[in-house]
Amino acid sequence: MMKKHSTSFALLLAALAYFVPTVAGGAPAAYTACTTIAILAVMSYGADLILSYLGEVSLGHTIFWAAGGYAAAMLAVNLGWNGWATAGAAVGVSIVLASVLGLATLRPRAFVFSLVTYAAAVVAMEVAFNWSFLGGSDGIVGVPPLSLTLFGWGVAGASNVELWPVAWLLLLVTLLFIHRFRRSRLGTSALMVQMNPDLATALGIDAHKVRFAVFIVSAPISALAGWLYAYQRAYVGPDMFESYFLVLMLTAIVIVGRRLLLGPLVGTALIIVQQMFFSIGGDGDKIVLGTVLAAILLLWPKGLVGVWDFLTVRMAMRAGSSQS
Amino acid sequence: MNIAQQIINGLVLGSGYALIAIGWTVLLGAARLVNFAHGQLYMLGAFTAWAIMQKLGLSYFVAVPLAVLVLGLVGVVLQGMMLRLVMEQNLTSLMIVTLGFGYVFQGGAAKVFGGDPQAFISPVETASIRFGELWFTWQDVITLAGTLLLFAALWLVMNRTRLGAVVRCVAEDPKLAQLFGINAALVYIGVFVFECAAVALAAGLVAPRSPILTSMGFDEVILTFVVVVLGGIGSVGGSLLAGFGLGMFTALFGALVSPAYTTAAAFLVLLAVLVLRPRGFAAR
Repeated sequence: MMKKHSTSFALLLAALAYFVPTVAGGAPAAYTACTTIAILAVMSYGADLILSYLGEVSLGHTIFWAAGGYAAAMLAVNLGWNGWATAGAAVGVSIVLASVLGLATLRPRAFVFSLVTYAAAVVAMEVAFNWSFLGGSDGIVGVPPLSLTLFGWGVAGASNVELWPVAWLLLLVTLLFIHRFRRSRLGTSALMVQMNPDLATALGIDAHKVRFAVFIVSAPISALAGWLYAYQRAYVGPDMFESYFLVLMLTAIVIVGRRLLLGPLVGTALIIVQQMFFSIGGDGDKIVLGTVLAAILLLWPKGLVGVWDFLTVRMAMRAGSSQS
Repeated sequence: MNIAQQIINGLVLGSGYALIAIGWTVLLGAARLVNFAHGQLYMLGAFTAWAIMQKLGLSYFVAVPLAVLVLGLVGVVLQGMMLRLVMEQNLTSLMIVTLGFGYVFQGGAAKVFGGDPQAFISPVETASIRFGELWFTWQDVITLAGTLLLFAALWLVMNRTRLGAVVRCVAEDPKLAQLFGINAALVYIGVFVFECAAVALAAGLVAPRSPILTSMGFDEVILTFVVVVLGGIGSVGGSLLAGFGLGMFTALFGALVSPAYTTAAAFLVLLAVLVLRPRGFAAR
C-alpha cells in the first residue's frame, strides 16, 4: 500500500518544489541554486537510466550534456533559432551521437563499454577544443536569452529567476518520464537483463537491443539539461566535457541509492548546496566529491538509504528482542 | 618530412604508450578491474619524483625508484580499501570507485603541488644523439630499452614461473583458485601494486618529455586505453605490439595529416576495430 502511493507522493513533492526558492527567501542566490540543481539533476537522470536500470557505467554522458549545450548555443547565436527549435536540435544531435557510440559498443564486454564511452568523452573534448567550427578553446559566447512561447503564452529570459520555471518544468517532465520508464516494457526488460540475463534471453529478450535502446533513450535527457545550461550561463565551452560533471552525475546517483525515483535529485541537491554554500575551495570540493563517491560505494554500496534500512532493521530487532 | 625520423619518433612514442599501459593490462587481465585512476596515478608518480628531486635535492636516478616505491605503497592502501568489492567482483562499483579516487588525487595534488606547470627534468633528456638527419635523446633510448626489458621480464614471469601460473589461475577462475589453496586476495593486491609501481616507472621515464601538471591525469594516458583494448585485454605481447603500432600511427598521422587530431584519429581506429573485432587483435 505504502509502496503504491510513495511514487505519487514523490511526484507531488517534486511538483511542490516549485515554491522552494520563494520559501527560501526569494533571494537571487536561492533561484540560482534551485535552477542549477534542477539542471544538473536532469543531467544525472540521463546517466541514471544506464547505471540504475541497465547496471552498466556510461562515462560518456558528458558528451550528450555538452552536445545539448553546443547545439543550443550554436543555433541560437548563429541562426537565431528559438528555444523550441534548439531543444529539438539538442535531442536530435544527442540521439545521433548515442547511436554511433551505442553501435560501436554493442557487442564488447561490459567494461569495454565504460572504457570506450570514457575515451569518447576525452576525444570529444579534444575535438571541441581544437575545432574552430565549435568555437575552439574559447567556446561560444553571447547565447541570447531563452524564449519559449506556446499559443502566445510563454517565458523569456536569461536570469535564474526567469529560468527557474523552465528548469522546474524540465525536471518534472524528466521525473514523469523516468517514472513511466520504470514501468515500461523497456524498463522492466533492462532490469531483467541486469539481474538475470539468462532468464531474459530465455524469455526472448534481446539483451543487445535493450542495451542499445536504453542508451538511446537516456542521451536526450542529459542533452536537454545541457540545452538549458547553455542559456543559464549564456556561454558554452570545452569545460562542459570536464570530469567534474561526470563525477557529479555518478555521485548524485549513488549517494542516496540506486533505482530510487528521487535519488539523483536529492543527491544533486546535497552536492550543489555543499559547493555553493559550504565550499572549501575548488580543489577541496574535488576532494570532498571524490571521497563521497568512493566512500559510499566502499562502505554503504546501497547509498544513504542502505544506512537507513540498516538502522531501522536494528531498531526493529531491538524492539523485538525486548518484547520477547 | 623525413620518414626515417618519423619512424624513430613512432618507436619512441610507442614504447612510452606500451610502458604506461603495461600495469593496466596486467591488472585488467588478472583482476578484471578497470582502474580509471590510472591517469592520476601517472600524474602522482611524476609529481612524487619531481618533489623528491626538488625538496630533497636527490638525483633523478634516485628519485624515480623512490617514486616507484611510494606508488607501490599507495597501491597497497588503495587495494586494501577495494578488496571487498574486488573479491565480490563487483566491477560496476569498482570502476566508479577508482574514478572517485582519481578525482581525489587530482584535487589533493593541486592542493599540495599547486596548479602551475612544473619542469620535471631528466639529466639524459638533454643529451641527444645525431646520425646525420636523424635525432633522438638518451632518454628515448633508456625508455625504449626499459620498455623492452620490462615486457620481456613480465612475459617470462607470467608464462614460465609458478607465480605467473598463480596469477593466470586467479584471472581464469578466482573461486577455483581459492579451492586449490591460492590466496586470491594476495594476488589481487600484488597485481594492483604492480600496476601502481609500473605506472610510476612509466611516469619517471616518459613524463620528462614535457612540463607536468596536476590536471594532466587522464588526457595524458588516453591512448593507453586504445593500447589495452587493441592489444586484447590482458595480453602482454599484444599490448607491446599495439603500443608500437599506435606510436607509429600517431607519429605518421601527426606529421602527414594533423597533430591536433591524432587522438581523435586513434580513437576512430579503436571504434572501427571494436565493430570489426570486438575482442581486440590478439584475441584467441
